[in-house]
Amino acid sequence: MISYEEALRDWEAVIGLEVHTELTTLETKMFCGCKLEFGADPNTHTCPVCLGLPGALPVPNRAAIESIVLAGLATNCDIEKRSMFYRKNYMYPDMAKNFQTTQGPVAFCMRGHLDLAVDGKAAAERRGLDELAQGDQRENIVRTEEGYTAHIGITRIHMEEDAGKMVHIGGGEGRIAGATHSLVDYNRAGTPLIELVTEPDLRTPEEARLFMQKLRQIYLAIGISDCSMEEGSLRCDGNVSLRRRGTTELGTKTELKNINSFKALHDGLMYEICRQAEVLNEGGVIYQETRHWDPSAKRTIVMRVKETADDYRLFPEPDLAPYDLSDEFIEGVRAKLPELPDEKARRFQDTFGLSAYDARHLVEHRETTRFFEACMAVEAADADASKLVKPLANLIINDVTAWINANPGSALDASSLTPERAVQLVGLVASDAISSKQAKEVFAAVFEEDKDPKAIIEERGMTQVSDAGAIEAVVDEVLASNPDKVEQYKGGKTGLIGFFVGQCMKQMQGQGNPKVINELLAQKLDA
Amino acid sequence: MASSNAMFGAMSARRIHDGLAAKEFSAAEVASAVLSQAERLDEDVHAFLEMTPDLAADAAQAVDAAIADGTFADQGPLAGVPIAYKDNMNLIGTHTTCSSNMLADYVSPYTATCVERTLQAGMIPVGKLNMDEFAFGSSTETSAFGPTRNPWDLSRVPGGSSGGSAAAVAAGLVPATLGSDTGGSIRQPAAFCGVVGIKPTYGMVSRYGIVAFGSSLDQVGPFARTVEDAAWVLNAISGHDSRDCTSQANATDFAANLGAGVKGMKIGVVPAFMEAAGLTAEVKAKVQDAIAKLEAAGADIVEVELPNAAAAMSAYYVLGPCEAFSNLARFDSVRYGYCDPGHADLGGQYEASRAKGFGDEARRRIMLGSYLLSSGVYDTYYYPAQQIRTLITQDYVRAFEQVECLVTPVSPRTSFKFGEIGDPTEMYLSDMFTISINIVGYGGMSLPVGLGADTGLPVGVQLIAPAFKDENMLRVAAELEREYGSAPVAPDFAPEGGDAL
Amino acid sequence: MAEHLTEADVRSIAEYVRIGMTEDEVAAMAVDLNSIIDSLSPITEYDLDGVEPTFHPIGDLANVMRDDVEQPGFAQDVALSNAPRQQDGSFLIPSILGEGGDR
Repeated sequence: MISYEEALRDWEAVIGLEVHTELTTLETKMFCGCKLEFGADPNTHTCPVCLGLPGALPVPNRAAIESIVLAGLATNCDIEKRSMFYRKNYMYPDMAKNFQTTQGPVAFCMRGHLDLAVDGKAAAERRGLDELAQGDQRENIVRTEEGYTAHIGITRIHMEEDAGKMVHIGGGEGRIAGATHSLVDYNRAGTPLIELVTEPDLRTPEEARLFMQKLRQIYLAIGISDCSMEEGSLRCDGNVSLRRRGTTELGTKTELKNINSFKALHDGLMYEICRQAEVLNEGGVIYQETRHWDPSAKRTIVMRVKETADDYRLFPEPDLAPYDLSDEFIEGVRAKLPELPDEKARRFQDTFGLSAYDARHLVEHRETTRFFEACMAVEAADADASKLVKPLANLIINDVTAWINANPGSALDASSLTPERAVQLVGLVASDAISSKQAKEVFAAVFEEDKDPKAIIEERGMTQVSDAGAIEAVVDEVLASNPDKVEQYKGGKTGLIGFFVGQCMKQMQGQGNPKVINELLAQKLDA
Repeated sequence: MASSNAMFGAMSARRIHDGLAAKEFSAAEVASAVLSQAERLDEDVHAFLEMTPDLAADAAQAVDAAIADGTFADQGPLAGVPIAYKDNMNLIGTHTTCSSNMLADYVSPYTATCVERTLQAGMIPVGKLNMDEFAFGSSTETSAFGPTRNPWDLSRVPGGSSGGSAAAVAAGLVPATLGSDTGGSIRQPAAFCGVVGIKPTYGMVSRYGIVAFGSSLDQVGPFARTVEDAAWVLNAISGHDSRDCTSQANATDFAANLGAGVKGMKIGVVPAFMEAAGLTAEVKAKVQDAIAKLEAAGADIVEVELPNAAAAMSAYYVLGPCEAFSNLARFDSVRYGYCDPGHADLGGQYEASRAKGFGDEARRRIMLGSYLLSSGVYDTYYYPAQQIRTLITQDYVRAFEQVECLVTPVSPRTSFKFGEIGDPTEMYLSDMFTISINIVGYGGMSLPVGLGADTGLPVGVQLIAPAFKDENMLRVAAELEREYGSAPVAPDFAPEGGDAL
Repeated sequence: MAEHLTEADVRSIAEYVRIGMTEDEVAAMAVDLNSIIDSLSPITEYDLDGVEPTFHPIGDLANVMRDDVEQPGFAQDVALSNAPRQQDGSFLIPSILGEGGDR
C-alpha cells in the first residue's frame, strides 16, 4: 500500500470524530436509580426501567444533565435552553427498549470548539506547513513557532444512554462471527452517555489524536467521567474521507469503529487515508461503510456497508417532559466549572515564567498538574527558590511522568514522593550539592525507601565536590597520566573530552561536579 | 343482615365500607364471596383473565386486623372494597398479559403506581381483566384469550379496549375496576355497559406500570356504578408520582363537591357533535334528554364550537400507532415474552416470535406507525398531527373560556354484536366523540343515562372538563346520577331481593 | 383507494419491525394500511403554517428530573425471571450475526 506522504500528494484527508463518553462519576443511571458499577455480576444492577419491562417509564438524572452542560461550557458550546429527548428506534438485543433515548436536532450543547496546539513531529503530518510564516493563517490553522494551532469546531454534544453488553459464545475469541449464541447483560444499559460530534475540521491523524487527548484532559478536569478507553467509558469513532487537493467538496466517508486507544485512532485513520488514496488513485470507488480497526493486523476490515441511510424513525420521547433550562440552572453549573487545562497552562506561563511547551505538558495529566501546584505552594514558602520552577517542571514532565506511566494503578498522591521532597531534590541539584545524575538515583531511592532526599544522600555519602582546587588536582593528575590522549586531543580529536571527564569522575567516585570538571579540562587542554 | 353469600360485588363501595365498619361482615367474607361469585358468573361474561385469591386474602386480613384494633376508620372509604385491574396493569406476582399471546406467560416483577395506591387505600385485589390486545380495539374482540361479553346482552360486545373492566362492574362482579383510555377505552365500554367510567386529565394518574400503548394519550381511570365510588377511587390513584415525569400533583378531593348541583353552572354543548353523521337517533335523544335535565336543574346551557375536532380522528390514528410502534418494539423474545423455539439466529427468532406473539390489530398498528415515522412520511403525517393537536387544544381552551363542562355523546351508537364490525376503519369510528379529549389531554367521563329507545341497551353521555378541573365533570355527573339513578347491575346479573346499593 | 404503500414497501417495513409475514399476509396488510392511510387524509388538508406542534400534552411542565441517588433494583434472579432462555446470569439469545448493528 502507498505511504502516507504519497497519499497526501494528491489528496487531502477530512476527518470528523464522534466521541461517546459514559458519565462514570455519577452514582446512578440516566433514567433510573440503578447503581453505575463496572464489572459487577451480570444483570445485578437492573430494574423495570433499564430492563425495558412493559409499563416502565424513564426519569432523567439531574446530575447527568448538569454534567453535559458542564461539558458544553468547557468546550465553548452554546447551551441550548430548550431541547427534548427523542426516541431512536431500531432493534438490537443489547438495547432493552429497542429504542435509544437520545436527543433530536437540538442538543443541550451546540456550536463549540477546541483549539489544538500541534507541534514537532505531530505538525509534520500537515502538508504544506512550510509555506506558512509564523502568524500566518490558512483555513482553520495558524502557524506558530513550533508548529500550528488548529481550530476544531464541535457541532454538538447530546445526552443519551448506553446499551447493555453482550458476550458471544460458541465460537472463537468472543467474536460475533462463528458464535452460536450471545449472553446479554443489562448492567450497563442506561448508563448516562454524552456524544460529542466534531465538524469535519480535522486534517491529520495527529490532530485527531490530539483532539481526543485534549478532550479527555478537559473531561477529567471537570470530573464527569473516568475516561477509560480500555473499559470503554471513552469511545471514539472516526469518519474519514479524501478529496482532491484544492477542491472543497467532501468525498464518500468511511466510519472507523472499535478504536480503544489514542494510538489505534491515529494508526487506524492513517491506514484508512492510505487505503482510500490507493483505491482512488487506481480509479476505484469508496463505499460508505463501517470499518473495524484491527490493531494486531494493522488494517481496517469492513463491518457493514450502508447502502441507504439508516432510518431510525426518530420522534420526540412522549414519556419525558421537554427542557427549558433556566439561567439559574446554567449559571449554577458554570459556577462548578474548574480551571480548565488551557487556562491553567496560561496561568503557569504567566505566574511562573514557564515556556508554553512546559506549561502544556504539565497540565496534560491531572496528577502531575496537582503535584506541580503543590510543589509551587511548598516553594512559595522558600523566598530564595524561584529559580527552582524550571527544574521542577522538568522533573515532573520527565521523571514523575515516567514513574506514573511505569506504575499504572499507583497514585502519585499516595507515593513517597511528596511535593516537599521534590522541591528538596531539585534544590540539592540547583545548589550543586549533587549532580543531576546522582539526582536520578536519589529520585528512585525516595520511592523505594520513603526518605527525604537529604537523608538519602547523607546515608549514601553522595556529596558533590564543586571546589575548584580539589577538582583541579584531579584534572592535573588525569592529564599527566594520559599524555598520549592529550596529544591526540590537541591534534584535533576533541571528542576525547568525554574520556577525560569520565576519568576524573572515576577518580572522584562520581562526586565531582561535572560542570566544574568540564570547565577546568577545557581551560587546560585548550590553553 | 348480609351474609357471606351477599352479592358484595353488586354493592357500592359505600355500602361495603359501612357494613365493615358496623361489623355486619368481615373483609375476608367480602373477599371470598366476591371471588367465588365472580368465578361462577364470569363463565358467561369472561371479564376476568386471572383471579388473585391469595393477594385478596392478604389484603382482607389487613383490613380485618384494622377493624379488630379499631384503626379501620383511619383507612378511608375504600378499605375492604374489592377491585380488579385491566390486564395491562402490573401487579407483582400476577400475570400481565395485555390479552396477548406475546405476554401469555409474563409474570409481573413489580407493581404499577395506580395499583399500588389502591392497595394502600386498603382495597382488595381480586383479579385481572380482559381487554383488547394491547388496548388496540373498541370491542375486546381482539383479546387473544377470547372476547368479553356485554352483561346486558351476551351476544354483544362490552366495548373496549377496557371491556373486561366495564363488564365486571356492569355484571356486579366487583364494585370498582381500573381501566385505561387512549382514545375512548374507558368511556366507550362504560357507555356500552351502562356504568360510570372516568378518563382523568392526562397527568392526573401516574402511568408507571401500565403497559404503554400511546404514551402521550394513555390515562388510567376508574369504573364504578356510582359517581361517588368512582370519585373515591380517583382520589386514591391520582397525584404526582416521581416515577412518571408527566404526572402532576393533585390537591382536589373529587368526592367533595358531588352534592353541589349545577345551578348557575355554564355547561357547553357542541352542535356539530349532535349533528354528526352516524350518531343514532336513540343516543342523540338520550343526550338531549340529559342536557334538558341539566338545564332544568339550573345549568346555563351554552353552544360552543370545536372547529378542528373533526381532524382529531385522523390525528389520533397517526399519533397512536406511531407511539405504539415504538412502545411495542421491546417485545422481542429476549428478556420476556413469547419466544419462538428452535431458531439458530436471532433474526429468525425475532420475526417468528413477533409474528406469532402479536395479533392482527397489533401488527397493523406497528406497521402503520413505522411507516408514518419513516423519513419523508414523518413530515406528511406525524408532524402535522402534532400541529393539529395544537389547534384542537386551542379550540378546547376557547370553549372552556365560556363553560365549565361539556356534554356530548360518548359513542355514536349502543353496543354492537360480535363480528358486526369487521373493517378496522369503521371500528375506529366508534371513538369519534372521545378521541379529541385524548389528543388534548383533558378529562372526560361516561355517565349512564338509561337505555336507548330502539335497542334497549345502555347509553352514556360524555362529560368533558378542562385540564386538571376534573371535579367539574364529576359535579355534573352527580347531578345526572340524581336524575337517572345509579347505574344498575345488568338485569340478568342483578341479585335477587335488590340488596345491592 | 390510493396506493400509498406497495407490497414491496410493506415487506420492507415488516423487515424493519421484525415481524415475519407470508406473501398473503403482506398483500392483505397492504390493503389494510392503504385504506387506513386514506382515512388520514384530513391531516394533509390543513393549513398549518406557523402552528407549533404539541408533542407533550402537559401544559408548561418542563425540566422534570430526579436526584442522582441509588434506588433498590432487582436481584439477578428477578431480572431473569421472565427470560425465555438464560445462562450464567445473562439472557441467552441465538447468534446475532447479520443483525447489522454497529456494535
